[in-house]
Amino acid sequence: MDIGDCYVGWATDEDIRTRGASGGLVTAMLAAALEKGLVEAVVVLKKLGEFEAVPIVTSDPEEVKAAAGSMHSVPIVLSRYLEYGTKVALPAKPCDARATIEQAKRQQVDIDTTYIVGLNCGGTMHPAVTRKMLETVYKLDPEEIAGEEIDKGKLIFETKDGEEHAIKIDELEEEGYGRRESCQYCEINIPVMADLACGNWGVIGDLAGKGTFVEINTEKGIKILQNAIDAGAVEITPADDKGKAIRAKVDGAMMKVAAAADEKYLAPIEGSHLDYYMNALADCINCGACKAVCPVCACGEGAKCTEFSSASDTYKMSLFHLVRFVHLMDSCIGCGQCTDVCPVDISLTHIYQRFARPMQEEFEYKPGMDMTTPPFFGVDLLEEGQ
Amino acid sequence: MAEATATGTTSEEWQPKIVMFCCNWCSYGGADSAGMGRFQQPPTVRVIRVMCSGRMDPVFILNAFLEGADGVIFSGCHIGDCHYVNGNYKATIKYKFLKAMVNELGLEDERLKLDWISASEGERYANVVTEFTEQIKKVGPSPLKPEGVV
Ligand SMILES: Cc1cc2nc3c(=O)[nH]c(=O)nc-3n(C[C@H](O)[C@H](O)[C@H](O)COP(=O)(O)OP(=O)(O)OC[C@H]3O[C@@H](n4cnc5c(N)ncnc54)[C@H](O)[C@@H]3O)c2cc1C
Ligand code: SF4
Ligand code: SF4
Ligand code: SF4
Ligand code: FES
Repeated sequence: MDIGDCYVGWATDEDIRTRGASGGLVTAMLAAALEKGLVEAVVVLKKLGEFEAVPIVTSDPEEVKAAAGSMHSVPIVLSRYLEYGTKVALPAKPCDARATIEQAKRQQVDIDTTYIVGLNCGGTMHPAVTRKMLETVYKLDPEEIAGEEIDKGKLIFETKDGEEHAIKIDELEEEGYGRRESCQYCEINIPVMADLACGNWGVIGDLAGKGTFVEINTEKGIKILQNAIDAGAVEITPADDKGKAIRAKVDGAMMKVAAAADEKYLAPIEGSHLDYYMNALADCINCGACKAVCPVCACGEGAKCTEFSSASDTYKMSLFHLVRFVHLMDSCIGCGQCTDVCPVDISLTHIYQRFARPMQEEFEYKPGMDMTTPPFFGVDLLEEGQ
Repeated sequence: MAEATATGTTSEEWQPKIVMFCCNWCSYGGADSAGMGRFQQPPTVRVIRVMCSGRMDPVFILNAFLEGADGVIFSGCHIGDCHYVNGNYKATIKYKFLKAMVNELGLEDERLKLDWISASEGERYANVVTEFTEQIKKVGPSPLKPEGVV
């Protein structure tokens, strides 16, 4: 087994294999890592309902097994639940993995003891928006939903009576439903920065629907997969070239879709930028939630953005936001958490991306892709200058 | 009233408010030399001394604009002369970020300037201040100026 190898794998336990999103490989690996002592804890989503789940940090393999399956309406970034110094594993969408790496650079996470089991991701949906979409577009009672799946560009809900209800995602997004706006332009579908990249793209033939495609990215990836094989929890077979080609092709197509969403949500501002930003932030009630939730910020409570600004300021723009705009220019990964939590619905992620992208492009730097430091510190100081 | 003054409807010409951050070892000395050499310069600049241009924090500059500055200069020793080895390289990088930030925000590019001035360059100091003042007069009062501040 080498870095770069691709396999299709599945859980040997039939129950995990059927409940898992594709082959239950991820669940089986995470549980085996706990059982064999490779890690002390695992972060998973504990399901509370079809659209609701909470992240838990657990040492109980049974809880890990109960968490099998993908939750497309739970857009939470899991990296905040990692603790420094604990040997831990987590399933990670590209944004989870990138946030984990950014936190590792800021000494919040020890990358050497953290196993990042990457999941491909085509996007997540906001739970409240999903409920509203079910009522108004699908004409279904959200409480009647028994399962959900994305297949061939359609978002399919299964109701408790066994019926399937499918609508094209494009159509949903035209109407403001479907994936979160920031997911629509997130161009990273395969978590190349994680230890492993798992997904259902590229699983073909007899294994379709019963296997998980896995690409090995690092030594740690080999370790956690080999551990599960040695424990008898998973089986793998080399992925065939056709599967690999299909996976690459879908990835490429999704990247094009993402680029089109850029034009929709991040089109150049017409007229005065200052008016645009002042209007956009006019409703802010200074609750601080956008900062508290941001997974790449490691400032904690006494941060520059909060300590130097006050609710009694009468400035035309809040210093809190201005400081955050500069601070995130090198590190915003566009995960959408800030927009999700804003109680007055400010499209914060779009704003942060507008500030961050020109700098990230100039320095040819994408945050969260590897452990190299941000451009701010990484530029060769003695060669730069004027 | 800032606009009325800027467009020249009152008799006195509008004078911009400029905040200038100078490093202790070079640029602040430059300001002194300018005074001792009696080089003419407009009274538009409020100098704030920092130990090194590397100490400049984006917060200082953003706060200056929010408080009503029409322009901000930050200056330090020439490259290679920083008394803390490479503070001015760090300042250069911060400046890049701030420039991009100010542009995206929609403040005019002319309102922010980085310049290196040594302790002996009194005349240069006066020239930088004079030119920058002219530049800010052209773009007018900052749109971020709080109500009631001139
Ligand atoms: C939101 C989302 C979108 C996806 N989109 C694609 C896609 O477009 N193409 C593709 O090939 N694969 C996609 N996947 C990956 C795929 O659905 C499977 O997760 C992957 O194939 C692994 O399957 P498995 O049966 O081995 O995992 P399982 O054994 O089912 O384990 C899944 C693990 O993921 C965790 N999890 C579930 N939901 C989330 C979430 N929202 N955030 C973080 N962790 C979560 C669970 O806690 C569990 O531990 C997506 C996954 C998610 C969560
Ligand atoms: S930001 Fe990207 S990786 Fe994260 S949930 Fe959205 S599409 Fe998936
Ligand atoms: S600013 Fe918003 S989108 Fe960017 S990393 Fe933080 S929470 Fe995510
Ligand atoms: S979450 Fe929204 S309301 Fe709260 S501080 Fe951030 S922008 Fe303001
Ligand atoms: S001491 Fe002058 S720039 Fe560092």
